[in-house]
Amino acid sequence: MDHGCAMDGRCAVETCAEFGFAGTSCTPRIRCGFGTDVFLCTGSDEAYVFSPQERKLKTVLQCPGPVSDLVVSHDKQRLYVACRSGVYCVGSQLLLSRVKGSPADASSGPSELKISSESLVVAEEGVLSLLLVGSVLVTLSQRDASWMLTLYKSSNYEKLCSFSQVSGDVNTEEKTEIRRSPVLICVHSRDATPSPSSSNSSSDEAPTQGHFHLDSVLFKLLFGVDVALAKSPVILCGLPDGCVCFVPLRLPGSRLRVLHSLEQPVVFVGSSGPGRCLVAVGELGRVVLMKADKGGSAEGRGNVFIEGCVPGPVVCGCVDKNTVYYSTGSDLLLLDLSEGKSGEEGQGKDEETRRKMDAALQSPTSLNVCRVVALAPPTCNTAAAGVVELLGLSVRGQLQRIRLPVRTEDSRLSSGSDSQVGRSVRDLLSSIGDVCERASVLKTSIKSKNQILQHLNQVLNISFLLMAGANGAEHPPLQESPIRCRASTSWSRLLQEDSLTLTCVLDNSSAYVLERGWTLSITVFPLCPSPSAGGENLSTNFSFPFQSLHPGETLDVSLPLAAAGESSFPVTVSCSLLFSLTSLLGEEAANLPALQSSCISLPLNTLTVDWLHALQVSSSKAAQEKITPHATDAIEAFLRSHRIRCGGNAEGGGESGLKYSASVRVSAELLRDTLMVAKSSDLDPAKTAPENVCLSLLEWLLSEGPGGVTTGQKEDQIALRGSVVHAQSLNRHAVKLTAKEVNVGVEESLNTVEVQVHSSSLAAVCGLHHAVLRRVQTLLQRAPERAASTKRVQSLGLREALQRAEHLLQQIQQSRVSGVFSGGASTEQMSRTLLDVYRELRENPLLII
Amino acid sequence: MSIKTFQPLHLLERWVQENNELVNKWKQQVGGGDTLGRDQSQTHLRCCSSEFHKLLMKIQGIPPLADHTQLELTVVYNACVCFTAQSQFSEAELLLTQSTERVLQVHSTSTEDDPAASDPHLFWRTVLKSVGNTALAPCVLRLLCLQWAIWLSTCQLKTIQEFQNELMSVFERLSTEVWDKGRKSSDDPLLVMDPRKLVELLQICTYIAQGAESLSEGQSSEALSALHTASSLPAPRTLIAYTHLLSGSCLAHMGRPQMALQCYRKALETDRRCLCALYRSMLIYRQLGNTQAEIQALRLLHSTLMLPSATEPPLAGTPLLSPSLLLCSQSLSSMLSVPSALSILHNLALKCVLHGRVSEGVEYYLDLLAALQSEDQHGMHAGSPPLPRLPELYLQAGAALLMAQRPADCVALCDEVITTTLELLPERVVLEEPDEECEAGSRALSGGGEDRVGMLLWTAAAYLLHGHCNTHLKDWKQAVTHYARCFNLLVKVRLKKRGFQPQIPSADMVGKQGTDLCILQRLKGLSLAGRGISFTQTDQLREALRDLQLSLQAFPECATAGLWCGEVLWRLGRRREAAACWENTWSFTPQSSEELEFDILITAK
Repeated sequence: MDHGCAMDGRCAVETCAEFGFAGTSCTPRIRCGFGTDVFLCTGSDEAYVFSPQERKLKTVLQCPGPVSDLVVSHDKQRLYVACRSGVYCVGSQLLLSRVKGSPADASSGPSELKISSESLVVAEEGVLSLLLVGSVLVTLSQRDASWMLTLYKSSNYEKLCSFSQVSGDVNTEEKTEIRRSPVLICVHSRDATPSPSSSNSSSDEAPTQGHFHLDSVLFKLLFGVDVALAKSPVILCGLPDGCVCFVPLRLPGSRLRVLHSLEQPVVFVGSSGPGRCLVAVGELGRVVLMKADKGGSAEGRGNVFIEGCVPGPVVCGCVDKNTVYYSTGSDLLLLDLSEGKSGEEGQGKDEETRRKMDAALQSPTSLNVCRVVALAPPTCNTAAAGVVELLGLSVRGQLQRIRLPVRTEDSRLSSGSDSQVGRSVRDLLSSIGDVCERASVLKTSIKSKNQILQHLNQVLNISFLLMAGANGAEHPPLQESPIRCRASTSWSRLLQEDSLTLTCVLDNSSAYVLERGWTLSITVFPLCPSPSAGGENLSTNFSFPFQSLHPGETLDVSLPLAAAGESSFPVTVSCSLLFSLTSLLGEEAANLPALQSSCISLPLNTLTVDWLHALQVSSSKAAQEKITPHATDAIEAFLRSHRIRCGGNAEGGGESGLKYSASVRVSAELLRDTLMVAKSSDLDPAKTAPENVCLSLLEWLLSEGPGGVTTGQKEDQIALRGSVVHAQSLNRHAVKLTAKEVNVGVEESLNTVEVQVHSSSLAAVCGLHHAVLRRVQTLLQRAPERAASTKRVQSLGLREALQRAEHLLQQIQQSRVSGVFSGGASTEQMSRTLLDVYRELRENPLLII
Repeated sequence: MSIKTFQPLHLLERWVQENNELVNKWKQQVGGGDTLGRDQSQTHLRCCSSEFHKLLMKIQGIPPLADHTQLELTVVYNACVCFTAQSQFSEAELLLTQSTERVLQVHSTSTEDDPAASDPHLFWRTVLKSVGNTALAPCVLRLLCLQWAIWLSTCQLKTIQEFQNELMSVFERLSTEVWDKGRKSSDDPLLVMDPRKLVELLQICTYIAQGAESLSEGQSSEALSALHTASSLPAPRTLIAYTHLLSGSCLAHMGRPQMALQCYRKALETDRRCLCALYRSMLIYRQLGNTQAEIQALRLLHSTLMLPSATEPPLAGTPLLSPSLLLCSQSLSSMLSVPSALSILHNLALKCVLHGRVSEGVEYYLDLLAALQSEDQHGMHAGSPPLPRLPELYLQAGAALLMAQRPADCVALCDEVITTTLELLPERVVLEEPDEECEAGSRALSGGGEDRVGMLLWTAAAYLLHGHCNTHLKDWKQAVTHYARCFNLLVKVRLKKRGFQPQIPSADMVGKQGTDLCILQRLKGLSLAGRGISFTQTDQLREALRDLQLSLQAFPECATAGLWCGEVLWRLGRRREAAACWENTWSFTPQSSEELEFDILITAK
């Protein structure tokens, strides 16, 4: 889209006629005919005579073979048609009589004229281009590997002479379907008198198509003094192998010589800047301007070749006074080659001209007409003064009259309105049709941009939503942000190895869609660093990109949390949503390395998975009693039992072996208020027996979790097996959880529930105790605010409890002091002391009311 | 021949019929269509040869049969004639050897001496031996004839020489062979070309080609005897004329110009279109210094060349294999070449002017210029001695016009040259002193490929001529102007000697005649002299003396300047100096000034 500025106003494109034309073997051409008529050859067996003024197809010429070129004699008396088998000549009387013969049925359609083999005048095969210079008919054909330029006398078709030129590599040519025909033109010196036969016509400006006049200096420089002295016209041919060759028509001993090589098929050659410049344009956009330099240098005058390139392939083109028009197939472009009005003199003029030309070549003006495959120069039709009108043939075979917007030097802005006045609706429609294709490209690009914007809007909405949730989380007790994660744990057995899997569920309850580009990122790290890991923070990161998540939908992802016997619990699971910008921009952005890392990260909620979650509750009675781990771990069990025996710490199997224990006491009233109220909907009030309180507490502990993590155990597994739960802990030790009602207090006993944890592993006891406490804490937060009777609290032997605590504090301090003084030797003793204190604390818990 | 199965008989008949149809069609086309263009007959020939080839494919599609041999060899002959006529020699040769081998496989009794295709002599000797004198012999001999034609066309004269005896015997046998008229029936396969005619043609063409070859190698006397025998052979007139022509060339080469002239005359008598004989005669007259005869010959040559039939002799009933196809050796074609009509005309005009027939010469020059300007002239005839460059032609014609007392016409031509070249003239030009070895490359070529020094000299010469015209018309003021313009152009030339800066050349630097430098100095001298004379006429004696003395400095041999210098000195009363000047001038060879000028213009390229 760097075609420089578009012209003000737009071209009026008027479709005059349609010629259906399929893929042709050679370049279609538009030639001037009798009067204002034009001839069209499209490479098929038919040639057309069309009158642009009457807007009507006059005659269809049916030829014996594909027509490659047409030319009308200077006196307009004869038409020469180049076919595959030779050149045919048709008298204009024949043509005109056909046209005029039946005025009555003029509307009926074009007349047909069949050209028979009797009118064959030159039996030369494969003539590609024709030219008439005076009384000489020039043909150009390709024989094997060389080009043949042959001159015939047009009076008796006697062969005068022929020149041959070995054709170079016809690159790129083989691939394309259309064979580009060579260009054949005739160049006259401006001061030379034109040939007598054409002298009656106006001799000043290119009287016929294919004939150009050059300034005498340039002419002499290009073709030599002898040609100028002989007053000979020069035949120029632009060949598909890229050569621009010339031969003087009348100079003894002349040969076909190469003037310049474009190194790409020549599309057209012509003179511009009236006569001051010879222009050749190649198929790939190379433009060569040949000018005479302005002299003044000591070297004498020489010719200057200015080479440049215009964007895009050049399908066809033509040249007017100062202007080159060319079509790239998708657009019609205009090159302004005028040199400006500043004088001819000046030393640095050549350089300046060169620069100017370079600039001109860089910025062709778009005329917004597409699909033109053949152009006739403006001189061909008699247009109104000041209005430039071109004839073009579109790729679909439409003959179009292209009226260029009027260009006035001073008022570029105002001129548009004038030219628009007289335009009919049809003009507009057909020009719209041309613009339509270009518009559709723009439309798709706009559409995709819109989509990206929508996407970005969604992303921003979600970001704000989540950020608001994060900020507000400090004040209210996180009443759910609409997008959050839940999780559940489950034990699975894979390859004879038990592993704990965490299933995270991303719940989108917002009103927005999480579209392509979002990633759920989950980071798992232990709450406290395990001593075995040397204090390192062992966080693990999981990313789950997903396509889209509509409102109300959920996304389930599973991640391995720990294998049995590993990991340090409890762990924190931190969830966040990531959005990468590259996905927003699509493939183009994927190549930019700078964009790869740019993304938005939005934290969701944080979950904690504790020991309770990781409990494997034994399902059957037998299993409860045996407590042995899974049968497959027999060896380990054996080893353990062996170790225990050796250690002399006889556990004796069963419950007697659970030597560590801890307990938590919660007031039953609290539990009833919270748990039972929550359940009251489905439990009838009669069932609120003390037993039930214990049970429901255990149930609650094992199944539900605070902060959205649940255990995946089924209800029936833990359902009502009394107030004792046997389970296996994470580190494969047997664990017993019991809940029972006890009355605390001396006078007014307070009904409480005591949860006891027994295990052979101290770590399990600690972990579970911590977990239970954490749960109960959340329970307390849920509990309805109520004035607890201080009296009752007092009576619960608070003093005693405080004394005990003080005592324990003392013990700790002592052990610390002794630890400091006694150095490393007494660490063992110190830790034992600390353990005792801990046990003491755990076994006589404070009551939670 | 009597016991045949039905199917092959049927096939054989059909093929014979097809062959004969093709031959008849060809003969009809050639006989009926004299007016056919060369292109069309070529197309027809191409079509014919492909048809014959197709037929041959059909015949060779089945294993070789003894009964088919004659037909097969005939079709091979026909196809090969067509191929050769299209200059497709390798195809023809391949077809010849392969088909012959195939046929011989059936007939040869001994297969161990399988003919080696690599050595053609051995191959054909074996073939001839195995065929012997059977009924097949004529067929095989015909094919050998074709092989001969191919050798001749591809200029393998050595091969022919080595095989001379066999070929002569072929000639004997084929030319004496009496065709049994009684046996000839419609069943016999026809031939596109009569082998007797072919062998006769080959015979004389071989003589001519060999003669030309030995002539070019300098063995004139050997060539002469062979050509003498050839001249009595039955052959087309054109070819007989060639033998005379070559004999003449041999004689001229041997230093017998009068005998050579006789031979050329004989050649012309035999074939009046043998223009090269006329041209050669002209060269001999030139060599002998017989100017009148030379001019006469040139005139004749030109008028013959201008006849419409002259350029392309229509050979009546041209055989399929034409002499021009068979005679294509380089040495012969160079011997037969004639310069173009324009070149002859230019020679004629030049000779006339140089030898005192000025008015005649002027007419020829004007004819030449008219021909160059005419519509009918179309860049053909890239003749071997190319015409001089057009500006030179114009200047020569101008000088001739002036000599013929037509100064106004001369001025027109000078103006033409000046307007054409003036725009292209450089401000300054450096003339490199030509080295002895690379004189040709000494011209500084400008970007447009034009010779800039040459262009400057053309313009200067045109101004000089213009000045002369003014002098002739006694328009002294104009004359001074044009001489001055000439001189001003000439001083733009700087001479660059190797290792030196460019400098203004002076008379003592002129080393050789005819170089650019020499012409430059002469033009300088003449232009100054002309101006000096003009000043003398207007009584500006001081200026006149200065110019004339400068002229003598630039070009000491200029007699006119010397004479006028003496005159001016005399008028100024410096009598002694005048006498010395005259004395000095008379010591040079006297030369009329006009001749000198023309001389300069002619040597100005």
